[in-house]
Amino acid sequence: MGAQAESTDVKGEPAAETKAIQETGRGLWIRRLIAIPMGWIRRLIAIPMGWIRPLIERIPEVWRRRLTTLAPVWTLLVVWLFFSLQTPSFATRANFNNILAQVATPGILAVGMTFVLLTGEIDLSIAAVAALSAEVSVQLYRVYGWDEPIPLIAALLTGLLCGMGSGIISTIIRVPTFMATLAMSLIAEGLTLWISRGRQFFYTEISPWTLWIGSKKIGGTGPGALRNGMMILLCGLILLIGYLVLRYTRFGRYVYMTGANPSAARLAGINTKLIVFSVLTICGFTAGVAGIAAQGRLGTALPQPQGTFLIQAIACVVLGGTSLTGGKGGIWQTTVGVLTYGSLTNGLDNFRNIDSFAKTFITGLVLLGALIVNIVFAGRAPRDRT
Amino acid sequence: MSSTVLELKGISKQFRSVQALKSVDFDLREGETHALVGENGAGKSTLVRILAGVYDGYDGEFLLNGKHVHFHTPKEALNAGIGMIHQELSTMPVLSVAENLFLGRQPLTRFGTVDWKKMERIAREELAALGFSEIIVTLPLGTNSLGIQQVAEVLRVMLSGAKVLIMDEPTSALSPAEVERLIQLIDTLRQQKRSILYISHFLEEVMRVADRITVLRDGRKVDTLERKDTNINQLISLILGRQVNATLPPALPEATERDHILLEVKDLSGGVFTNVNFQVLAGQVLGIYGPIGAGHFDVARAIFGMYRFDRGTIIVDGEELPGNFSARQAIKRGLAYATESRRRSMFLDEPIYRNITLPHLPRIGGFLPNPAHELEVAVPAMTRTNVQPPDPLNPAGKLSGGNQQKVAIARWITFPPKVLIASEPTRGMDVGAKNEVLGILRTLRNEHYGVLVVSSEPETILAVSDQILVMTHGRIVAQMENKNLDKDSLMRLI
Repeated sequence: MGAQAESTDVKGEPAAETKAIQETGRGLWIRRLIAIPMGWIRRLIAIPMGWIRPLIERIPEVWRRRLTTLAPVWTLLVVWLFFSLQTPSFATRANFNNILAQVATPGILAVGMTFVLLTGEIDLSIAAVAALSAEVSVQLYRVYGWDEPIPLIAALLTGLLCGMGSGIISTIIRVPTFMATLAMSLIAEGLTLWISRGRQFFYTEISPWTLWIGSKKIGGTGPGALRNGMMILLCGLILLIGYLVLRYTRFGRYVYMTGANPSAARLAGINTKLIVFSVLTICGFTAGVAGIAAQGRLGTALPQPQGTFLIQAIACVVLGGTSLTGGKGGIWQTTVGVLTYGSLTNGLDNFRNIDSFAKTFITGLVLLGALIVNIVFAGRAPRDRT
Repeated sequence: MSSTVLELKGISKQFRSVQALKSVDFDLREGETHALVGENGAGKSTLVRILAGVYDGYDGEFLLNGKHVHFHTPKEALNAGIGMIHQELSTMPVLSVAENLFLGRQPLTRFGTVDWKKMERIAREELAALGFSEIIVTLPLGTNSLGIQQVAEVLRVMLSGAKVLIMDEPTSALSPAEVERLIQLIDTLRQQKRSILYISHFLEEVMRVADRITVLRDGRKVDTLERKDTNINQLISLILGRQVNATLPPALPEATERDHILLEVKDLSGGVFTNVNFQVLAGQVLGIYGPIGAGHFDVARAIFGMYRFDRGTIIVDGEELPGNFSARQAIKRGLAYATESRRRSMFLDEPIYRNITLPHLPRIGGFLPNPAHELEVAVPAMTRTNVQPPDPLNPAGKLSGGNQQKVAIARWITFPPKVLIASEPTRGMDVGAKNEVLGILRTLRNEHYGVLVVSSEPETILAVSDQILVMTHGRIVAQMENKNLDKDSLMRLI
């Protein structure tokens, strides 16, 4: 530390003998002009960093690591604490029930998305696939008069097949998943519209199993019951299965390794194409489940996808600290991300005096702040060794 | 006596539990070429990274031209005149030579657009001044040989105003002719009064280019010697600090069942190589030697299903591999491949044990891999290959380059394949580690497995091979028993 305090920082001025740079000086004034404010900013940042750095270095290493790798958890706790103190209606049983009901659908979607993002790929079709699956179910039940369980099974199969379709397009035909799933998204969206011919279906027209999944309460029918309990339970179950698969199975390990370094994974004998195909299939399946759950919760079969689903699911996964480039993260992180996202959006609803037209804007800013904290802090820390 | 440009006093650096540098003093004079030598993990890379501003958390004093400095980023170091030429090339092969030379600081016209004419003119002039006037600056850099790319990297750092150039293993990927030109370039730089810090494992090269030599061992400076006062033998003993005890295990006589062919390659053609034929027998090490670009690495990749070939058959232990097979199928038939590129074969963020057990998970844990069982496999493999430091939970990226290579081989020794293909198994390694790795290959051979070693380092090929193939320009030009051969006789064949 002593040497560091004495030393003068060298920055800004290029060395005197840089012949090439000086000769190329015609555009130099632009660079100089930019360099001046940049230098001020750098110095401004350097002053507090000079005070903070020794403080940070005094924290024991174990705690530093806990602070950084668990950044998403701290964010969640801060969000909870803030809203609990600021609004009386946030920290109530009913509101927590609300949050859970609100995040159940994105939560189910986020499980599949976690698998896909861990391999370093992406699936942009989940919202459309969810809509298509739900539409298939309601059409079979209402228009063609099939009894349960056929509409439900058909819906789940639809999701599975869409995922497999994306998988085949991206692994065998070798279209990058970004484009393959974008195409799949349009296909599924178009099919939904075509099949439904733009018609909406309402409560009584939707199959009883779908309604049961989407809106069944747990714990009786009184005020103490858990609203949308079945759906919350389902989301929890899917999160748990996803966690166990990723954490403990060989397949889970292959998913991580494929994302961390695809060429090394192939060298070790992993069939990386099969892994990518599998995660897209899983993602399609969870999209199908989410479609049914959302339909049952709303009590409405819409003829078009809900645009927010895709972004919500990705936001949840990334907010938890799973890397978009693959290999890092997991379901535990996603669970934290889902809860943080739900709490943020729900928490702002509890402020009576917020202009409701500005709410989305504020949500965006708060989300950005949370993302910066979670990704920047967690990104600097070593990956936790599961 | 020329003046001192750069001086380090009592530099120490700690990584987690490892003390990488222990109170090292070092100085660099104007216009001198100073070589830094030592085993893998001796602290050479750590030292130069401190100089180049990559690491900023260290103890000790750093003086540049007599003034205290402390760099926080490589950019600050470069602005102060210290430039680093990296071990792995950091140029952009698809950009033109001129663009690469001015990467990030292209000359601009008064309208703020890139001044192509000026950029190309300066690039041409500078290259000509160094004696590389044959390079066409408008072509993509990737169309040039690795040696030229290395030159471009040196020039790029120079043009950004560096007075001190740090070269970390600049020749490890170069052919002998390219090495010659690089050495000439270093002489030119020395005449321009630039100081060079040169890291290399090739002691002969060091003896040719260096004015002074500093030896590091276990994070401490052993000594700084004038080149004219020392010799290679003295350097080796200073580097190792002990007698060379990691000698190769004795070569047992070749297997009695000499006719048991484990790997047979017939008329393999594709890419740069044509009509490659050879056999690897049980209990035999076959070495393929060739200069960089001879196509022997591509042959190795082709055998492992990672390089498409046009014609030819590959037979593993009597079974022919199907057309368009994948690496997975090659592994199933009993092949294993340790690549020359660690970055492409390792998971640097993952713990070492996972790097070792990954290909064998089906055998170790079935569908539910159990870390305890994995460690039972990984730890003995790490002990056998002498990975330092031997903590299986460490991420592989924290190991030095040579130790990463040991992990890449440790992966295959618990459940040995029928034939192990090792591409450049000793690249960038010091004497001790080299012998350890070659010893492992020798042991596999003595246990009647087949080993195929592909390398551009004649020493490596000569040290372990029973049979040697020489490849040049995509063709096999000689095949012989490894008896009474030396470096000269191999190099003369190419």
